[in-house]
Amino acid sequence: MSQHYYQESTRAVSSSLFDTASEARKDTQFQEFVRKVIRSPIFQNIMISAITMNAVFMVLWTDYKLRYKLFRVFEISEVLFVSTYACEFFMKVYVDPINYWKDGYNLLDVVIIVIILVPYSLHKIKGKHYRYHNIADGIQSLRILKLIPYSRGIRTLITAVGQTVYTMASVLTLLFILMFIFAILGFCLFGVPEKGDLDNWGNLAVAFFTLFSLATVDGWTNLQEQLDKRKFTVSRVFTIIFILLASFIFLNMFVGVMIMHTEDSIKKFERELMMERHMMLTEEKQLILKRQQEDVSRLVNTQKSGGKGFSELVEDFKTTLRHTDPMVLDDFGTSLPFINVYLSTLDNQDATVKKLQELYYEIVNVLNLMLEDLPQEKKSHSSEILSD
Amino acid sequence: MVTLQQQGHLKLARADAICSRLIDTFSLIEHLQGLSQAVPRHTLQEITDPSRQKKLMMGDQHQLVRFSVKPRHVGHVSHAQRMLSRLPVRCSWRPPLSLWAGWVLASPIFSNFIISLIFLNTIVLMVEIELLESTNTKLWPLKLTLEVADWFILFSFVLEILLMWLSSFFLFWKNAWNVFDFVVTMGNCAWMLLGKFIHHLCFPQSLLPEIMKLIGVSGESVWLQLLRICRVLKSLKLFARFRQIRVIILALMRALKSMTFLLMLLLIFFYIFAVTGVYFFEDYSRSTLENLEYNMFFSDLLNSLVTVFILFTLDHWYAMLQDVWKVPEASRVFSSIYVILWLLLGSIIFRNIIVAMMVTNFQNIRNELNEEMIHLEVQYKADVFKRRIIQRSALHVFKPNVISQGLCDLIPCFFSLDLEASQRKISEDLSEASKEESEISVAEEGAAEHTDAEHSATEHSDAEHSDVERGDTECSDAEHSGVERGDTECSDAEHSDAEQNKAKKYMKDSSKKKSSKAKVYPSSSSTSSSASYDSFFPTDKLDWETLVHENLPGLMDMDQDDRVVWPRDSLFRYFELLENLQYNIEERKKLQEFAGKDLTQFQELSILG
Repeated sequence: MSQHYYQESTRAVSSSLFDTASEARKDTQFQEFVRKVIRSPIFQNIMISAITMNAVFMVLWTDYKLRYKLFRVFEISEVLFVSTYACEFFMKVYVDPINYWKDGYNLLDVVIIVIILVPYSLHKIKGKHYRYHNIADGIQSLRILKLIPYSRGIRTLITAVGQTVYTMASVLTLLFILMFIFAILGFCLFGVPEKGDLDNWGNLAVAFFTLFSLATVDGWTNLQEQLDKRKFTVSRVFTIIFILLASFIFLNMFVGVMIMHTEDSIKKFERELMMERHMMLTEEKQLILKRQQEDVSRLVNTQKSGGKGFSELVEDFKTTLRHTDPMVLDDFGTSLPFINVYLSTLDNQDATVKKLQELYYEIVNVLNLMLEDLPQEKKSHSSEILSD
Repeated sequence: MVTLQQQGHLKLARADAICSRLIDTFSLIEHLQGLSQAVPRHTLQEITDPSRQKKLMMGDQHQLVRFSVKPRHVGHVSHAQRMLSRLPVRCSWRPPLSLWAGWVLASPIFSNFIISLIFLNTIVLMVEIELLESTNTKLWPLKLTLEVADWFILFSFVLEILLMWLSSFFLFWKNAWNVFDFVVTMGNCAWMLLGKFIHHLCFPQSLLPEIMKLIGVSGESVWLQLLRICRVLKSLKLFARFRQIRVIILALMRALKSMTFLLMLLLIFFYIFAVTGVYFFEDYSRSTLENLEYNMFFSDLLNSLVTVFILFTLDHWYAMLQDVWKVPEASRVFSSIYVILWLLLGSIIFRNIIVAMMVTNFQNIRNELNEEMIHLEVQYKADVFKRRIIQRSALHVFKPNVISQGLCDLIPCFFSLDLEASQRKISEDLSEASKEESEISVAEEGAAEHTDAEHSATEHSDAEHSDVERGDTECSDAEHSGVERGDTECSDAEHSDAEQNKAKKYMKDSSKKKSSKAKVYPSSSSTSSSASYDSFFPTDKLDWETLVHENLPGLMDMDQDDRVVWPRDSLFRYFELLENLQYNIEERKKLQEFAGKDLTQFQELSILG
């Protein structure tokens, strides 16, 4: 089935690729069809199973004997998997060529396809006995990263954690700078050719490794022993200061910073979720309300088309209600506490309004008095203005 | 509904909401469209009342009954309660065995007995292990008692499991602790039966050693050791009983659950680096150099996985790397890149992400627990508030009886005599109602006294309805909106009218859990009061507002237990009046604004003049 799609899409791709950049797509129906296929759960299940099988096969091929015996199976499965991935890539690019490149997970797909092509091209270019062939085979294990977009949980986790990437990068850069300083210091102090410890501090790269070993406090006592053997007095101070700085302070600061940022990002995420839900609910409520109002207005309009008027209908309905008919309600708007609270609040409001009114009366009285006290011509002047 | 046409230009959200509530409750639209057949017009009470039911059935047999479907929170329903309400159980002569088993299991004597047995088990096990290898013959009676204790304990545990099965077989397997119990007890049984018997039987050497070899059992065999562990695990069950530990375990499990995706991501990375490691270090694994310590560490996938984990824990990574460098064919660059990358990614970054997520999860769980407690507190406060309101309305009726006689000479009393009499009757009812409510604590009675002060404010405001009328006629020339003022007066009168109507027209039927009898008391919130007070405490209004703001959400949430029975026409009238009230309040607000603006203009003019 995938071969069939492959062929169709190649034919269609060649015709539409030239159109898309400048004008509207002419093949909208097929595009819709392919889009539906990509979004369908069957397609996703196929992809997930293909990637899982690929991962399992890779586990099997690590064993040399198995690879030797089942060589043909190996080749065929490779072809199948590579074709599936290429299909998916082409279909997705066909559906949306421009926006395809904006999504990070699609870029990951592209990188993995490039990685898949590396061993083959390496074989072709460098011949059979290149010493780095096993490296190229090794990085094929990255194919399992294709599984990540299909799992919603991991995606949210990565989004949450991904926002802490900047902090992480800055802390790591700081650590690198610190190690750089100490490496140069250590090289100058301990890596001097005659009586220095050349294995560990001989050149910058080795010095970096030594310092990293000190930072992760693994086997640092051995390294310290080496320095002690060569009777460097400063070495102890040097080592201890570096371990305090790098391991105790820096690496734990890393933890602290991560905790802060994880909290923030999770809170933001949850708040967004709540807001989304809230908005959906209010939208639904609005919809219901609007529908009701439409019904009412429709009924109001029927009075024009003969029949009884709306208010008359309502009055008729009211007369059918009997006092002895009970209606049991338990919503808040008709409950006693609400009525009590509401009426008390209204009473308080009335009290305030009354006070306000009294104040107004007083103002008016005072102004009247002022008006009377004014001399005559000004009074006539102001009364003219008043009468305007 | 009428106002919909009159004030069509004025759109108030509240009025619309009330209107739609009215339409909803009465299914007005269906009625008006002539579909009154499809609308339920009777309630459950009418069906359960036999005389009314007969009348209904004789009238029209196709009428619909409205069932109120609000879910009620009844709390936890235990298995025993469910069983009790089943028909076979209720109709049988004696209760089924499962009920008895459930009762036994729940009784405190039995559970304490089991706890003491677990303690005993631990002690017996400890002593046994000490005495296992000693062959001191004087200790033989002690060993005998220990064995008897062993068998007795096993027997009682098996009995407990049988009882639980008797009580409910399927529910047994749903609880994880029960499954754990079952596994441990089975292991225990196996140990006792197999181990002990064969141990005893091998003392006389008559048993063939081949059979023993077949079963693979001896005093020090691995499986026996394992089975013995089962007995120790039984003591873990003790922890289930303690609440705090259960809470901690629950919190841990919740935290772990939310970290599943993180662990999945970690597993993916483990896989990637393990497979890559096999390929990267092929040369190293196949090298023929001697004294390579970590030669087999990357030889195949399983070893590679273990090595990746070792690197994750930062153990001897530099030594391993230096070992790899000894082999000349292995490329130094790629191997160091591999190791450094994995250390950074896995051990430093991932481990700190795990710590950070655990910390936030624990904080979240703590916040959730706090929220639950706060929720309960809010409910409690809302309950207190509600009782206060009811008490206020009760005292509201009390007050005039006491004070109206005192102030009758001071202020023209607006009482009519029959109103007074009815109020006395109402106050009597309320007194017995408030006696029933006497479960209210002393603090609330203190609060009730405080509400008297607020009380006076509301009574004052009611008298002002009539005062406002008088005051208005004085200054109708000062304001040019006198006519509209009269309108608001009418609406205010209607407002107080509505209150009086409501007071006489509804009964309350509170179906609280504790009291099964229906309490009937007409609540008249502010109708009866016309005695006015000169004192007015402005601070009380602030209190009232903040009080309402604080307690209103709680009140809205908790109003699930009380149902109010309304007569139908009063309910309709109530909705109509409420809607009108909204419009009137809005108008009054506008009038206030006009008055204010005019006055300021007037002020400015006079100052200029």
